[in-house]
Amino acid sequence: MTTQAKVKPSFEAIAWRAMRYSGILLIPLAWFHVYLQDVIVGVHAIDIDYVALRLDMVAWVVYDMALLAFAFAHGMYGLRQVSFEFIHGERARRNVSLLILGLWLVVSLIGAVALIGGARPELISH
Amino acid sequence: MASSVSPIKTTAAGYVGYQGREGHYAFLLHRLTGLGTLLFLLIHILDTSTVYFFPALYEHAIALYRSTPFMLGEIGLVFAVVYHGVNGLRIAVTDLWMPKRWAIQTQRKAVWTTLVISVILWAPAALWMLYNMLLHNHGINILPFIGTH
Ligand code: HEM
Repeated sequence: MTTQAKVKPSFEAIAWRAMRYSGILLIPLAWFHVYLQDVIVGVHAIDIDYVALRLDMVAWVVYDMALLAFAFAHGMYGLRQVSFEFIHGERARRNVSLLILGLWLVVSLIGAVALIGGARPELISH
Repeated sequence: MASSVSPIKTTAAGYVGYQGREGHYAFLLHRLTGLGTLLFLLIHILDTSTVYFFPALYEHAIALYRSTPFMLGEIGLVFAVVYHGVNGLRIAVTDLWMPKRWAIQTQRKAVWTTLVISVILWAPAALWMLYNMLLHNHGINILPFIGTH
């Protein structure tokens, strides 16, 4: 029998689990997205009217929002982990973490605003 | 950091020089596909956001994605997302529910299994994307029994 002291899990330990659970979630979420848009529909059939049609449906906005939240957070946290293998100083690690956090927040916000706002093909003057 | 050894050089040398066979190659490929997909995702979030912020720019972005070099990149991207997912599932399931299976012999086989599954899932998609690329960009139909659509 092993006895384990109960300690409050650290941020790194929670993130370690989150990487694994979010990864499992991303299999249906990311694969379906990529196969649908890039393989079945294909880039030659995608234009702004197609995007507008899609983002008029609440279900797709919710789906894309989940993808944006989980895939980008998973990837940016992974980037932090990789960078920590090259950067060992405490201050440097803090700076890199803040940089990645900032980039993640800004790009996520841009993506979220666009998803909620939807496509605006009516603004294109021909 | 008081060390005189550069951690960047040490880490990079370890990636290249470590002779860990299957497990090491899977680690490198997982990392490469993860970072590659992330780079694509970052660009993709920003270019898709133009539909709201600068709608006139979107058609330029999509024209770029339709070009042959980009379509070849997309075929590679599909492999990256598929392989990273299959291999990530191996890591997640073993870590969370069967850590006893972290034995080198077991994992050597599992690494090959992930590669085979990835290629099986990727190949039909790759063929279809190649068909579309050659048809739309070069007027070549490599699947004549399907016709043009
Ligand atoms: C398709 C489903 C996915 C699964 C099952 C998955 C699984 C995983 C797992 C388990 C790890 C942790 C490795 C570790 O901590 O040792 C990881 C790392 C990572 N993932 Fe994913 N992931 C998926 C999708 C994605 C996507 C869409 C991206 C891109 C945005 C991504 C980017 C990364 C990066 C950059 C890392 C860090 C690489 C490393 O530690 O070597 N992943 N993934």
